[in-house]
Amino acid sequence: MAALYRLALCNIRGYSFRSWVVGLCALLISGLVLATSLILLGAESSLRLAIDRLGADIIVVPEGAATRVETALLMGRPTKVWMPASALDTVAAIPGVEAVSPQVYLASLTNASCCTVSDMFLIVFDPKTDFVVKPWLEKTIGGNLQLGDVIGGSSVYVPEEGIKLYGYYLNLRKNLAPTGTGLDQSLFMTMDTAQEMRRVSLTEAVQPLEIPTNSISAVLVKLKPGANVYAVALEISDRDRTITPIVSPDMFQSYQGQLKGLLGGVLVMIVIILAFSMLLIGLVFSMAANERRRELGVLRAMGASRGFVFRSLVMEAALLAINGGIAGVLLTFLILTLFRNLIISILGMPFLLPSLPVLILLVVGVICLSLVIVVLAASLPAYRISHLDPSIAMRE
Amino acid sequence: MIVLDKVSKIYPISKENQVAAVQDINLEIPMGEFLVITGRSGSGKTTLLNLAAGLTRPTSGRVLFEGVDWWSLPDREQSLTRNQKIGFVFQFPSLLPALTVLENIALPTIINHSQDFQEIYPRAVKLVETLGLSDKRSSYPRQLSAGQQQRVVIARALLNQPAVLLADEPTSNLDEQTELEIMELFAEIHQRTGITIVLVTHSAQLVRFGTQSVQMAVGQVVTKQT
Repeated sequence: MAALYRLALCNIRGYSFRSWVVGLCALLISGLVLATSLILLGAESSLRLAIDRLGADIIVVPEGAATRVETALLMGRPTKVWMPASALDTVAAIPGVEAVSPQVYLASLTNASCCTVSDMFLIVFDPKTDFVVKPWLEKTIGGNLQLGDVIGGSSVYVPEEGIKLYGYYLNLRKNLAPTGTGLDQSLFMTMDTAQEMRRVSLTEAVQPLEIPTNSISAVLVKLKPGANVYAVALEISDRDRTITPIVSPDMFQSYQGQLKGLLGGVLVMIVIILAFSMLLIGLVFSMAANERRRELGVLRAMGASRGFVFRSLVMEAALLAINGGIAGVLLTFLILTLFRNLIISILGMPFLLPSLPVLILLVVGVICLSLVIVVLAASLPAYRISHLDPSIAMRE
Repeated sequence: MIVLDKVSKIYPISKENQVAAVQDINLEIPMGEFLVITGRSGSGKTTLLNLAAGLTRPTSGRVLFEGVDWWSLPDREQSLTRNQKIGFVFQFPSLLPALTVLENIALPTIINHSQDFQEIYPRAVKLVETLGLSDKRSSYPRQLSAGQQQRVVIARALLNQPAVLLADEPTSNLDEQTELEIMELFAEIHQRTGITIVLVTHSAQLVRFGTQSVQMAVGQVVTKQT
């Protein structure tokens, strides 16, 4: 085996054109499949985590604002939507509803001297009624947020001069676990902090923060056990035509649809590329094997069995596949790391890298896929050439 | 001993036409001889050599190597026999371009991994020295002259200390002086080791280096001389 390996390495070195083409095909296969899997699995996992993070069975938003709110939550593009606070009582009165809590969505100013972070999505919750953030706060910081305290998404960090919004300094208490969505770049604060920030903004900000009186942006709804989410949503719509319920399983539906469409398209593309790569590798190997007919005939004359010739060609293919596959994996990680934000903005969808065990499994899987495809493509020409009569193989 | 018993080899050239490269040949090559086979191009010399080495299956007849019919053996045993008992020197450049001189010489051991490269290394180095290629052991074939390349091929053929050395027009690509040197090398190896050599050439002048000679024409043995 060691001898076969040495011979294969020498031949890889000696036939550089063939080696480059096959290696690049393996790189393309592993890189493409890995990137696609990471982006699609990551997007799916981001959507799931975002739904979990919101933690409500239903989110009620002003009529016509559903997409804007979903985009804000998913992509972190700030939005300001308003509806009367009375919607809270309307929803609370519906049978099957266990708890309701209001949220207000705000945004920091763009490139303003009174804000040290630009265009940040701010989620304001009511600690008295909240059932989403509060349990997490109790677990991690052992109590409520004080005036001026905020918690941030996983990507929020404190700049050198501190977090200052509308001229008001905020204290980042803790970061949430990553979701890969816009929630990772958002700040969570209490109603009291938001009102204090509004008050300070009147004198300290280039533009005052506006929070209309008796207005909220959304109502988070928790249902009683056994309540039908769709029946409650229908009831909400019936009772107040100016609000829209978004039920948890259907949340980010347009993104989920987009994801499915993307998956279909990408699958077709991958199948085409795999088939094309296999054909190309087969062709290049066939050409290289023909070019090496005499050399392989000489090997047979020196006592190489058909099996040896076949195995040495397949070994070359396997080594090229593994090296190309690893290069593809490294290149994919490099591209995904350097251009993550660009990819998200092109796709219009966030994605979160999976956990380490899943990542390892994916990497091993794509390298194995490259190996199988390259070896399969090389097997036919290798078999043909190894079964050629050596005296014919050696003829010009 | 290599025995060719009523051996014919016919190649199909189209659906209807075929050509007999070798026809009904009976030939015995005793061990320890230096047999020179001569004949014009297309007389069947190379086919005869390939048949003797079990590299091509005869259309009819039997080829015995040390009393065993080549074609009664499975591919694995045929290959092992060739690896351990036969050395080949070809007419064309047959060194693997991706390997160095020393790696090319060691190739038969790479193929038959019964011996470790480290084990065979001193023998390969000695052969390189004997054939005057000491300073070329790390060179690649493209860096050698035709004569030097042929010396490397001879070294490779001798590495496993075979019983038979088969040489197919080994000097056809060489100038007169180098041809003479290579032929003297063959004669010296034969004298020193007693190895059986079967050498095919179109040049009748080279018959003098052998202990026996055979002349072929149109796929048949015309004359035999001792």
